[in-house]
Amino acid sequence: MNLYKIKPWLLILPALLFLILPAYGLWAAFSESIKDGSDVTLTYYHQLFTSERFLSSLWFSLYTSLTATLASMIIGIFITRSFAHFLTDSLPRLSVWLPMLFPHLVFAYVIILIFSETGWLAQMLTMIGVLESPGEFPILTRDNYGIGIILAYIAKEVPFVILMLFPVYNAIPPAYYDVVKTLGGSRMEQFKTVEWPQISTVVMEIFFILFAFTLTAYEVPAILGTNFPEMVSVLSYDWFYSGSWEDRPLAFAAMVTISLLITLMAFIGYMYVNRKRMRALRGRL
Amino acid sequence: MMKKLYSMLLFFCFALLTACNQTGSSTNLQELKDRDWSTIVEEANGSEVRLYMWGGDEGINEYIDDWLQPRLQEEFNMTLERVPMNTEEILQKLQTEKQADKQTGTIDIIWLNGENFKNAKDHELLAGSFTDQLPNFNKYYDNEDPAITTDFGTEVEGMEAPWGKVQFVFHYDRAKIDHPPQSFDELQQWIENNPQEFTYPAANDFTGNAFLRHLLYAKAEKPSAIYAQPFDQKQVSEAGDPMWTYLQSIQSDLWRSGEHYPNRLEELDQLYGEGEVSMTMGYNEARAESLIEEGVFPETTESFVMEPGSIGNTHFLSIPYNSPNKAGALVAINDMLSPEAQLEKLKPEVWGESSPINFDELSKSQKEQFESVDRGNSVLDQQELEETFLPEAEAEYVDWIEEEWMNELVQN
Repeated sequence: MNLYKIKPWLLILPALLFLILPAYGLWAAFSESIKDGSDVTLTYYHQLFTSERFLSSLWFSLYTSLTATLASMIIGIFITRSFAHFLTDSLPRLSVWLPMLFPHLVFAYVIILIFSETGWLAQMLTMIGVLESPGEFPILTRDNYGIGIILAYIAKEVPFVILMLFPVYNAIPPAYYDVVKTLGGSRMEQFKTVEWPQISTVVMEIFFILFAFTLTAYEVPAILGTNFPEMVSVLSYDWFYSGSWEDRPLAFAAMVTISLLITLMAFIGYMYVNRKRMRALRGRL
Repeated sequence: MMKKLYSMLLFFCFALLTACNQTGSSTNLQELKDRDWSTIVEEANGSEVRLYMWGGDEGINEYIDDWLQPRLQEEFNMTLERVPMNTEEILQKLQTEKQADKQTGTIDIIWLNGENFKNAKDHELLAGSFTDQLPNFNKYYDNEDPAITTDFGTEVEGMEAPWGKVQFVFHYDRAKIDHPPQSFDELQQWIENNPQEFTYPAANDFTGNAFLRHLLYAKAEKPSAIYAQPFDQKQVSEAGDPMWTYLQSIQSDLWRSGEHYPNRLEELDQLYGEGEVSMTMGYNEARAESLIEEGVFPETTESFVMEPGSIGNTHFLSIPYNSPNKAGALVAINDMLSPEAQLEKLKPEVWGESSPINFDELSKSQKEQFESVDRGNSVLDQQELEETFLPEAEAEYVDWIEEEWMNELVQN
C-alpha cells in the first residue's frame, strides 16, 4: 500500500478515536430523541418547540451566554493589551491566571457570598451608610435577568481570555505600533490596524469555546439561576432526572438542538476565518 | 512498519470494545432462594459488598463507615465499601449497564424509595424479591404494614427491605414566633401578617414537592381522597384548583415577593439560618438537631406539624439485578435491619432517624433501650408524630404537582 496515501489518515487517527465518545453520545441522544417504541417520531421536537418553558429557556440561555462571553472577551482584550508588558514577568502573569485553578462551582458560591441580598457587599454598603438596611440591596443573584450567572462567568472566563491572547500580543513587534504612531494614528487605529488582524482568529476561537461552554454548562446556573426562566442545561437536567423517565426524550431533543446550533455557528465561523485565510494567501488583506 | 503499528492500534481498539462487553456469571437470586441462611452467610464470608448511596449527610456516612463497617468485618468477615452517589445517577448507571447487557455489575446494595424505586422496578433494574429470606425481616418487621408493603403507592413485593422511616415537619424559631400555625389557613394568616418571612422550595425539589402534597391533602375532601386513590388527572384537578388559588394568594407575601423560590432545600435552610425567613421544613423529623449543633440553625429552633397531618415515608435497601455478590448483599441488609443497628441509627448523635421496626416484636430490654434514646429538644414526641402520620400518595402526584406548579405559579 502506498504510504503517502494512508499517512494523512494515520495522522488524523488519534483525533478520530478521541471523537468516538462524543460522537457516539450525540448519536445515542439523537436516536433516543426520535424513538417512540420502535417507530421514528418527531413529536418530541414538536413538543419542544411549542413549549413556552423551553423557548423562554432557549432565549434566556442565548442571551446570558452571549452577554457573558462578549463581556469576558472585551474585558480580557482590554486587560491584555493594557498590561501585556507587565505580564511578561511570571509573578503578575501567574496572579492573573490564578483564578483558573478554582472550579466554576467555587465561583458560583463566591458570587453568592458577595452579591446576595445578605452578602458581603450589601452589609458593607450598609455599614458605610450607602444603604439604610441590607434589604435595599438590589437582587443580583437568582434573579430573572441572569445577572448572577453573567457575573460568575465573567469572573471565571477573563483569565482564560488573557491566557489565550497573551502569547499573540507578546508576538506583535513593537515596531508596528511605532509605524502607526509616526503616521499620526490614534489608539483606536493602533488596535484596528496592528492588533485586530493578529488576534481576530484567536478571538473567534475564544468566542466559540466560551459561548459553547456557557450555553451548556450546568453548575453555575443551577446555583445562581431562578425557577423561571432557567438555562437549557438546568431544564434538561430536570427533564432527564425528574420523576418518571417519560420526559427524558425531551431532554435529549433539547441537547441535540443546542448541539446543532453550536455546530452551525462554528461552521459559519470556520468559513469566515477560512475566507480570510484564502484572501491572505492571495495577498489581499 | 507503519502497517504493523496500524494493525496494533486497531487490535487495541477492539480489545477495548470487547472488554466493555464482557459478560460473567453472578449467582442469581433464585439460586440463593433454595439455600438456607447459614449457607448464605458462609458464602458471604470474606467477600466484598459495595453499598451505593446518597452521601450528602456526614452523620449518615459516619454511621456506615464507623459503626456498620467494622461490625460487618468482625461478625461476617465482610468488607463493606460505601460509594457516595446520587440515587438518580445510580439508577442511570444501572440502566446503562442493562442496555449494554452487562450481567456482572459493581453495585451490591442501593438505598432508595419512591419514584426511584418505581423507575428501578419498572425498568427491571432490581434483582427480585428477597425480603422473606432475611431472618431479621421475618422476625422484627410487620410485613402487612402498608408503610412496608407499599412505597409511594408502588407495591414493594419484597424487592426492597425497609431501612428507615421519616416524617415531614416544619421548623420555626421560637424566639420569633410564639405559636406556630396549626393549619394551612392559620399559615396563610401568619404569612399575611409577616410578609417576606416565609417561602418553600420549588416543586422540583424533593422537600418543596412534599410541602405541596400536604397542601393538596388539606384541600382535598379528606387526605385519603388523595393517598388512597390511584392518580386520576380529572379528579386531582378538582382538589388542585383550591390549592393553586391558595398558593397564588400567598405568593406576593412570600420571601422576595414570590418571584423566586429556593431551588433546593439547602437554599431555604440557609435563609432560615441567616434569619431572612422564620420557618423552614424538611422530610426528617429529627434533622434540626444536627443543624442546630453545627450552628446553621438558631438554638431556639423547634418543630411543628399542621392539620391535616404530616406525611411520612419509609426508605429501603435493595439489590440490583447485576450485583456481583448477592449473598453478601443479603447478609449486610439483614444486619442493617437488626434491632442493634436500628437502635444505633436512632441516636441523635449518630443519625437520629426513626426505625420501621415493629416494637411489639422486640424484647422488653430492647424496647427500653429504644425508649431511653433522647432524640433532642427540637424533635416532636413520638406519640404526636404517630397520631399525625399520613401515608404518601402515588408517585404520579409528584410529577403532576411539579408540572402544574410551573404553569400555575412560575410561568405566569
